[in-house]
Amino acid sequence: MTTVHVEEAGGQRPAYGPGLRTPAGEERLNGLAGTRKRLNGCAAAAYAALYANVDVITAYAIRPYTAIMMNLAQFIADGILDAEYIHADGEHAQLSAAFGAGSCGARAFTGSSGVGVTYAYEMYSIISGARIPIQMSIADRTLDPPGDFGSEHTDALCTRDMGWLMGWAATPQEEFDKSLLAYAIGEDPRVLLPQMVVQDGYFVSHISGEVDMPSAEQVDTFLPPYRLPFPLDPRQPLSHGPQIHPSQGPPLQLERARAMEDAIPVIREKTDEFARVFGRQYPHFVEEYRLDDAEIAIVISGGHSVTCRAAINRLREQGVKIGMARLLWIRPFPSDDLRHALRGVRAVGVVETNLGLGGPTYGGILAPDVTAAMYHASNRPHITSFMAGLGGETVPTAEFEWMAGKLGQAVERGGVEKAAHWVGFED
Amino acid sequence: MSVRGTRIPPHLQLPIAGVTPPPTEKEGQRLFPTGNFRFFRPVYKDKTPPCNNACPTGEQIQKYLDFVKHERYLDGYLTIMEDNPMPSVTGRVCYHPCETACNRAEHDEPIGIRSVERFLGDYGLDLPEEPIKDTLPPLNGTTVAIVGSGPAGLAAAYHLRRRGYSSVIFEALDKPGGMLRAGIPHWHLPEEVLDAEIAKLLSLGGIEIRTSTRAGQDISWDGLRNYAAAFLALGQDVGKRLPVEGIQSRGVGGGLEFLRETGLGRPVKVGREVLVIGGGNTASDAARSAIRLGGGAATIVSLESEEELLIVAEDLEQAREEGVLFSPGTSLVRVLSENGHVTGAVLCDARLARDDNSAVRPELIPGTEREVVCDTILVAIGQVQQLDWLPEHLSDSSGIITADEHGRVEGNILVGGDVMRGPSMVVDALGDGKRAARDIDRLLTAQALTPEPDVTIMPYEGLNSAYFRHAPRIEAPLSPAAERSRSQKVEVTLAYSEEQAVAEADRCMSCGVCNGCDNCYIVCPDVSVLRDARENGHYSIRTTYCKGCLVCVQECPTGCLEKVPEMDFDAPEDVTRMETAFAPYDGAHAEQSAFTKQLIEDTIAEYDAARRQPVPGGGPPPNGHPPNGRPQNVKPQNLRNEDHDGGRP
Repeated sequence: MTTVHVEEAGGQRPAYGPGLRTPAGEERLNGLAGTRKRLNGCAAAAYAALYANVDVITAYAIRPYTAIMMNLAQFIADGILDAEYIHADGEHAQLSAAFGAGSCGARAFTGSSGVGVTYAYEMYSIISGARIPIQMSIADRTLDPPGDFGSEHTDALCTRDMGWLMGWAATPQEEFDKSLLAYAIGEDPRVLLPQMVVQDGYFVSHISGEVDMPSAEQVDTFLPPYRLPFPLDPRQPLSHGPQIHPSQGPPLQLERARAMEDAIPVIREKTDEFARVFGRQYPHFVEEYRLDDAEIAIVISGGHSVTCRAAINRLREQGVKIGMARLLWIRPFPSDDLRHALRGVRAVGVVETNLGLGGPTYGGILAPDVTAAMYHASNRPHITSFMAGLGGETVPTAEFEWMAGKLGQAVERGGVEKAAHWVGFED
Repeated sequence: MSVRGTRIPPHLQLPIAGVTPPPTEKEGQRLFPTGNFRFFRPVYKDKTPPCNNACPTGEQIQKYLDFVKHERYLDGYLTIMEDNPMPSVTGRVCYHPCETACNRAEHDEPIGIRSVERFLGDYGLDLPEEPIKDTLPPLNGTTVAIVGSGPAGLAAAYHLRRRGYSSVIFEALDKPGGMLRAGIPHWHLPEEVLDAEIAKLLSLGGIEIRTSTRAGQDISWDGLRNYAAAFLALGQDVGKRLPVEGIQSRGVGGGLEFLRETGLGRPVKVGREVLVIGGGNTASDAARSAIRLGGGAATIVSLESEEELLIVAEDLEQAREEGVLFSPGTSLVRVLSENGHVTGAVLCDARLARDDNSAVRPELIPGTEREVVCDTILVAIGQVQQLDWLPEHLSDSSGIITADEHGRVEGNILVGGDVMRGPSMVVDALGDGKRAARDIDRLLTAQALTPEPDVTIMPYEGLNSAYFRHAPRIEAPLSPAAERSRSQKVEVTLAYSEEQAVAEADRCMSCGVCNGCDNCYIVCPDVSVLRDARENGHYSIRTTYCKGCLVCVQECPTGCLEKVPEMDFDAPEDVTRMETAFAPYDGAHAEQSAFTKQLIEDTIAEYDAARRQPVPGGGPPPNGHPPNGRPQNVKPQNLRNEDHDGGRP
């Protein structure tokens, strides 16, 4: 691993500790406050890390998330961000270094895409088990083989049960906001969990959108300096994630399960606080789009929801009573909120954008989660899995219309035709 | 909420989830007694280094080399003095079986142990007061008789004194020292060094040497038996005769007798064409002394072939440098004389053969006889002792006093040195004296004599040789051959400088003996190697936590750490049942810990400095730590271990 120290002009390294910004950084953020910038998702994530004033960045290049690290490296080179920028020898080391930094009390930022995410797999449980709230910014990429730069959610979803908070952003603005929000939730002493802020590769990461730039004061108010209650300290020695006796395993896992559930009220609280500080109110967990009188609904996550809204509007013009429930968080899974959102519908199609090979629906990963949540709903709708948007393909409005047709048939028939449909491969 | 109503029983509660007291603290070990994962346990078991084992006096060589390495010369000198009373002597004349056995020979070259020993011995002689005096017990009133003031006799007297006994030594010659004076030339062992070593021993009190007192003449066998105990160490100082024609001619003499007269400073005449008959070290010493005395030529005529010569390698090389000639594989057939004085010799090619009693029997090669001119012949073909004053059953025809395996002749009378084992090394005699003193003490205190305990010798293969950089041996400097071969006084082998002694001692690999290098302490991935007392290098294993990965055993340079199956311990369910650390050589260890100590201090200083940086608004520094570096007692609410209500907003 190489630690990159960027020298200030004159060769003197400024002594800025955590919680401080460089003069150039202050000036830059002052200039940005109140403006609206055109940024793609990667740049939005990098700006969020700049505003969050991260202390340690660990990087390893892989498309499409690389642009996040490119932007951050530029910030450091320009002297507007004072952070340790560590270029690791692979994603496992990258996550390990971020873990170590977080354990010492640094606000750590890392990220990856596709097989990079899976290469680091060992570290996910270790980091959440040690309760170190670092942030990983993922821009989705299809897992190999074959080599495919296109977006597919499987990379991040593979890690969904490892104890990380996880949610998809659908636009660069939401990516920016979610990064700040996720840090605030994860670092909350009631939670202390690492976070994955995920965006679709290319559809979000590489397509520009308008992003409102806040002031540094706004961010510092919402996200105070990181305070780990139990940092590694040579004067106060303690162990993170030590070897344990088998009997000590269950209580530790229970603690982690509690933390994940306790995150639910904290997410609501922080989302509302975010709205007060920044003026943008997001739904806590589920975006409900034209669901009030809907008979059928699409459940979706991430960037394809933008196309989905357009398709719903067209279908509504044709008289189809359809709506959309977009999941803003996958972990913790918002079972209550989803039941509430879908309380009136009779058939639900889950757009997967992921692979759940051999799973309960033989389709994707999300439908089983949605089905389990809806099993306890009084309306208990028919649910099917739509395999769409794989390999980085778009999901055009025509496909959404096709899905709506299948859901309509399910309502008429009183049951789904199949547990999973491969959209584009069936009549 | 699925976790509503969950409860963690008190005995399973951790202070903070996933964060525990470290295993360096008792509480951490109580939580995680992972010692029961272990199949093998690392155990510190010091072995005997081969040098120590090879030394007949049992000198703790690893220990004093370690002292010298750390410039603790007084400690090093006192360490030698536990086993050997005259390191200045052995540091010059010993044939160093320790260096022959040294494992470092397999690595690059053996350690120059003898030269370091000489350095320490001379250091001791230079001290204004003999420091060993303060360690001696008061005399107990018992006096032991010793026959012979050679190395065996003097060593016995010294070690008896260390045990509280007085001794009286009967010496046949008019000066003490035995073979050290009467057999070893001054250019090997200067007279003043020997005198100083003997004076050092006499200064301890309780040791009396009666010179010109010959056993059998001036003190009888019965006279010896009147003492509480006696030690026979009269050596073998009578040269063997060679039964050839003309051997009675003037100019023909014994090599040993020649060396004795020279050593005692008596006038000796030697010619300019000298033949020395014999293939051992006495022949070499006689030939070299003859060159010094007569200024002529000396030829060693030996039955032994070039390869069979018994002269130690370094002496052989020095002899050649000084101009000694060799005629190996040759037998003296006849001495030629005129008017009763030797004028030459008839030599013949021969092979060394032995009869059934393993006595030497030359096998002449017919037709190779030839005459050579010479004016002196010195015979050095072995030695015997005059023992007809002893009861007949106590000696054999070769001048050896017979004894049991403990060197016990009869009653409280023991024997040692050359008169017990035949011609041997000075250090053998010193070892016999040490052993005899111990056994006499046992006999006088009604203890049984026991065989020497078995020891485990550390082989080179047991070391982790990757840790030892190759470094050439520092050879002891020599006087120039042209200068030394003209004088009886100029020492051939010279001393190490202090720097050389320290550098050579630093080459010691401490075979099988912990030298406190801290490797185990540093490599242990589980903080399970403890250094309870940093200053003496003792370690112990935290058996409640060590999982038996054995990285420490693998990375132990000296091989003193070994793996022992857990099943070998008496109570398999108990992981704290054996004290694992022991190092028999107290205090000789662990000067290298300063680096580790500094490393930790530097880390803490750097950490503290990072926290002293200013924070805007004068508030507390980040991470919730006040400036003194102690974390605030911040406890996340959901991590408390009381019942989980699950009902928080």
